[in-house]
Amino acid sequence: MVRFAHIADVHLGGWRDEVLSKLSDQTFVKAIDICIQEKVDFVIIAGDLFNTALPGVDRIKKTIEKCRELKENRIPVYYIPGSHDFSPSGKTMLDLIEKAGLGVNVAKGNVDENGKLNLRFTKDEKTIVKLTGVIGKRGMLDTKYYESLNIPPLENETGFKIFLLHTALSEMKPKGYEQMEDTPISFLPKGFDYYAAGHVHVRQISEFEDYPLIVYPGPLFPNNFKELELGLGGFYIYNGGKEVKENRDKLEFVPVHLAQVYSLKLNCQDKSHDQVYEGLKENLFNRDFSNTIVLIRLEGTLLSGKPSDINFNVINHTLIEDQKALIVLKNTTKLQSREFEEMKVSHSSVDELEDNLIKEQTKDPQYHDINEEVLIKELMKSFSSEKKEGEVTQDFEDRIKNDVDNVLGI
Amino acid sequence: MVLGRVISGKFGEICARQRSDADVELGELLIAEENNNKSLLQVYDLVYGSQVSQQNLELISGMDLEENAKINFFDPKLRNYKLVYLKNLINISDITAKTSKTLPDFFSPLRIVEKEDLKFLVTPKDSLFIGKIRSGSKLLDVDVNLPGKDVLSHHILIPALTGKGKSNLLSVMLWNLIDKLFCGVLVLDPHDEYYGRNSLGLKDHPSKMCTYYTSKDPPVGSLSLKICLRDIRPGHFDGSINWTDAQHDLVYFYYKRYGTDWISKILGEENNPLFHEATLNVVKRKLSSLLDLRFKEGVIISNGIFHLTQGGNTLQDIIKDLEDAKIVVIDTSSFSGSLEILVGSLISNYVFNKYKYYKSKGVLDTKPVISIVIEEAPRVLGKEVLEQGPNIFSTIAREGRKFKVGLIAVTQLPSLIPRQILANMNTKIILGIEMAPERTSIIESAAQDLSRDNRTIASLDKGEAIITSNFTRFAIPVKIPLFKDFVLREQKEEAQNKIYTKQSFNGMDMEGE
Repeated sequence: MVRFAHIADVHLGGWRDEVLSKLSDQTFVKAIDICIQEKVDFVIIAGDLFNTALPGVDRIKKTIEKCRELKENRIPVYYIPGSHDFSPSGKTMLDLIEKAGLGVNVAKGNVDENGKLNLRFTKDEKTIVKLTGVIGKRGMLDTKYYESLNIPPLENETGFKIFLLHTALSEMKPKGYEQMEDTPISFLPKGFDYYAAGHVHVRQISEFEDYPLIVYPGPLFPNNFKELELGLGGFYIYNGGKEVKENRDKLEFVPVHLAQVYSLKLNCQDKSHDQVYEGLKENLFNRDFSNTIVLIRLEGTLLSGKPSDINFNVINHTLIEDQKALIVLKNTTKLQSREFEEMKVSHSSVDELEDNLIKEQTKDPQYHDINEEVLIKELMKSFSSEKKEGEVTQDFEDRIKNDVDNVLGI
Repeated sequence: MVLGRVISGKFGEICARQRSDADVELGELLIAEENNNKSLLQVYDLVYGSQVSQQNLELISGMDLEENAKINFFDPKLRNYKLVYLKNLINISDITAKTSKTLPDFFSPLRIVEKEDLKFLVTPKDSLFIGKIRSGSKLLDVDVNLPGKDVLSHHILIPALTGKGKSNLLSVMLWNLIDKLFCGVLVLDPHDEYYGRNSLGLKDHPSKMCTYYTSKDPPVGSLSLKICLRDIRPGHFDGSINWTDAQHDLVYFYYKRYGTDWISKILGEENNPLFHEATLNVVKRKLSSLLDLRFKEGVIISNGIFHLTQGGNTLQDIIKDLEDAKIVVIDTSSFSGSLEILVGSLISNYVFNKYKYYKSKGVLDTKPVISIVIEEAPRVLGKEVLEQGPNIFSTIAREGRKFKVGLIAVTQLPSLIPRQILANMNTKIILGIEMAPERTSIIESAAQDLSRDNRTIASLDKGEAIITSNFTRFAIPVKIPLFKDFVLREQKEEAQNKIYTKQSFNGMDMEGE
């Protein structure tokens, strides 16, 4: 029975920081090593292997090297390009992998005379599993590909079928991802045995009527601070031969964590910057952080001082030099100083803001015989009058006109 | 042609003699015009008149029937005639019109209403098309467009008996609203008829501004309705589950203690010393039955639309679509009544609260009106239901207009809806109602005086309607076009203007490229 690995959202080259970038590369190497060691039949990469259309030469070399290792172990790689893999002109470095015979892009097909997109299956020679899929594109441009899919031939195909996709599915979009654009599941052809998905950086397995197993493995390596905090990172191995009650139990998640993560969340509300500094020392100093990524998230409004007054340099230096941390990342987006907050409050009243704007605009009056500031305020008051209960539109309009006439004295 | 002359009566009960060769119908619009005084009148009754006494008429007809006597009247057209009773609708002065407060001149000639007479019916900004003006059963080529923003936020009631054209009216309204940017419409569709899964419907609109959620075999491009359990609050069950006091306490206890996980916690609870075992079991049974859930080996198994992880953004997506002025159709045809109310209540609650929030932030003016279509409205707005406490629909009926959220309530039995709520429905599109109590409840709560229209309402044919609204000058008789014909005509025009472009599939590995 078929046994394959499902990897997605590797985003090689996604981190600017050298340490994390290296860790990300090493995680990919490790994942491939695990696939070889586990003797999977083939590896699926459901989009976004690279973070950019033009990854560095060293990174490409390393990737090709790992793909060659897979080939030498008779483990084919089937992939689709994801939204990050493309340049604006539609080019992708993944083409190199295919041209070198080290992987197969399964998003293949042709357009018929009716403008329909006919996908073609790629058959895995060893397992006879049939694979096809649709690429992921930025700005949901892939939606029109789904809209044009000629679905019946895909659904009528017999045998074990896998569909690769790189898009967020509306019905599975997790909480917190409201702003992410999505595609309804109904766009996918029904009846495939496995839907290998990528794009959403959350691990998910879902079963829908006619769509028995839709799987997002999440990122292979975390791509941002929050994903590091959540401890994301890994891939799935599907074991078709496993005797289980539920289909989803054929999946085994393989976490790939080459470094430990220590996450500290500190509430800084009503604390001075010195107290925060002391708090950080108390929580972080005198610990062994060997092979550890240290995450510091600070939230709240400081009693005194600014976030920049907190001496992070000392913290960083101590944790990295003395306590052997791999890297220290801090997140202060929800940390603010009181001075800033008070300033905001002083301008938060709409009336006050309006007053200031009117004063500003009437500094050089055009008509010296009238008080423009008073006139503008009176006019604004008249125009902001609301329709009264039971008042018909005509009467309402007449009342406003009368009010304005009175203000203007005409 | 002069159809008749005003001869007597009083305000609202004008009597006119009908010309012998004229054909005047009940509900027909006529113009009385003399000396620059132009009044729009409507026929509400037709009776016979004669210069011969009733006793003599009876004798003459008896002689004809019983004795075959050949009797002819002298000047029959002069002696026997028809009388037309009319009510004043409006006084017209060129392109403006004012509510009628005067009588037309004595002996004013009556003539048929023409398109030119109705120039004052301008198309308002943000219009909602309903149909064409109808004069009796005759059709005038004058579109009836209501001020959409006002009408939708102040609620619409569509009372009608089966077969009178409710679905057709709603289909036409929705089709015309779909590409309008001033409103979003949520349709709770118990008969799965508006999207047009297997027939002509909103899916065929070129704007593609309709989102369709269904729980059964979603057509390509539509959405499988999944709602995350964590989005449900105890208040959403108002109207769908009647809790006893003890059950109510238990539900709120779990909600306060576990927040969004309250349902899973209740379903997974073995016992709780604070509550009677039977109470806990009944709540578990009611919840799992309505939500179609099972709790097995520590895991919630979902068989229906409610799910622990799926549908996490469904409510947000629906609201976003509504705010983007789209039409969102929820197919509730496979739901039980209670489940349909729960789903409707859940979404309506989120919409209403979101708009309340927008108002508090001062950004409501930038948002489109949201209208919620509910069929068989007495299920949620009926007197009996509301005696058990208010629900989100009654709240919207009372307060919605302040927050730009309105209802389009459809019912066969308006008499079941409390007077106060009927009065809040500021626009009523009345289709044929033959049952007297139902007519009475509508007439009593109409925006215009319809006391003379009892018979007219009873005689409304399929597709004929009367619009009574705070936003119209008079109760407008209207003929609603047949949806199919209307759409096919539009599609034909669309097809003529369409430019076909070749689809590109950039990025795919295409053969021959």
